[in-house]
Amino acid sequence: MGGGFLPPAERRTSVLVGVYAALSLLLLLTGDRIPTALLRGFGAWLFAPLDRVVLTVDRMAAAWRENRSLHERVTNLEVENQKLRMAGVENSELRRYLKLPDWQSYRLIPAEILSLSGEPKPTAATFSTGDRHGVHQGDVVITGEGLLGRVEEVYGGLSRAALITDPGSAIACEIESTGVLGVLRPSSLPSPRLVLTGVPLSDTVRVGQMVLTSGMSSRFPRGLRVGVVNGVGRDRGGLTLDIEVEPAARLSRLRHAFVLVNDRREEP
Amino acid sequence: MKTAGALVWFIVAALLLRSTALTALGTRGIVFDVLAFATVVWALRNGPSWGATFGFALGLAADLDAVHWIGRHALVLSLIGYAVGRLRATLVRDSSRTHAVLIALGTLAHQVWVLAFEAGDPAGWPYLLKHVGLALAVTAPIGTVLLALINRVSGSILFEHVVPQSRSAP
Repeated sequence: MGGGFLPPAERRTSVLVGVYAALSLLLLLTGDRIPTALLRGFGAWLFAPLDRVVLTVDRMAAAWRENRSLHERVTNLEVENQKLRMAGVENSELRRYLKLPDWQSYRLIPAEILSLSGEPKPTAATFSTGDRHGVHQGDVVITGEGLLGRVEEVYGGLSRAALITDPGSAIACEIESTGVLGVLRPSSLPSPRLVLTGVPLSDTVRVGQMVLTSGMSSRFPRGLRVGVVNGVGRDRGGLTLDIEVEPAARLSRLRHAFVLVNDRREEP
Repeated sequence: MKTAGALVWFIVAALLLRSTALTALGTRGIVFDVLAFATVVWALRNGPSWGATFGFALGLAADLDAVHWIGRHALVLSLIGYAVGRLRATLVRDSSRTHAVLIALGTLAHQVWVLAFEAGDPAGWPYLLKHVGLALAVTAPIGTVLLALINRVSGSILFEHVVPQSRSAP
């Protein structure tokens, strides 16, 4: 009866669980200081082919349906594009008269979304484009509907973006046509949602108005669609408006996205 | 060696499902807690040591994917794996009811612990409680049906040392 009350096998198991628990607690306390980007990069590289296989079934089922609606949309956009080209020429001339700098030009790199992570709502996504496709850290990611997030980590053929729902996200925004400025942040109260903060009570904001990036920070260019005002109230302190924003990009149906690459940065 | 190989495959399958189909379903309100489900199933099949090891490895992989709070999944899943593995020795019937209760308990423990990190202000608690409830309501019945299907297809039972309910003595 040497040593302890438990049989040896149970003692070993208890020690093992103790080690796991201690390791987990240690990671919880010190994990933020450990550089884990390299490990995530390896994980993304390892899982990318498997993600593609799993997603193929889903993509094939949706492809036929999407193709039909895309044909219709392309036709409508062609017509709209013609009008916008003419307006663009006018706009450039007017900006030249007013001595305002030209709009920055961006190139779109298409990317497939391989996986999503985050609870209870997705806060990060892994994309099928990376360093070798010209994607850089800090590039903006959008979908056809609106802003999705910003590239945080770039690996060879893959990249990982923090979505606008990431707890650390803060986006300088404006309300379309009125120019009311604010900062869009995710909030977990009373449920996960996006809130436009820092808007004075004296400003008028209405449900249904479009929220765009304001270009007030260098992180996001001006004029990207972010979402629609879903509700307006007072913040808990009663000093500013609490504007709930419904994201334009449908986070529950993410398949493809585009990385915005600033062409000027790429010039030598 | 065979168990270690199966462990890796099971972890990869669980993570793949979680990062593809289940995340998209989760945003539509269908919360299937594949991490808790996989840990409970693995611990039932392989006992406390392997249960804890599986929970820790699966949790750590999930933690690394999430950037924030590394170790939160690993801690709770290793403890769930250990607890369910220990229970396995005391269970006498391999019934769907037992599976449902164990999956529900595992899901409840996992969800409450993980979402506690999100609960800063009491105003957010109703949403988080709803999320836990949804996870329970989805994972327990679907997980139980899945297990029943696997048992029927494979023809084997989860607890090797016990008698399945349908074949037990009256």
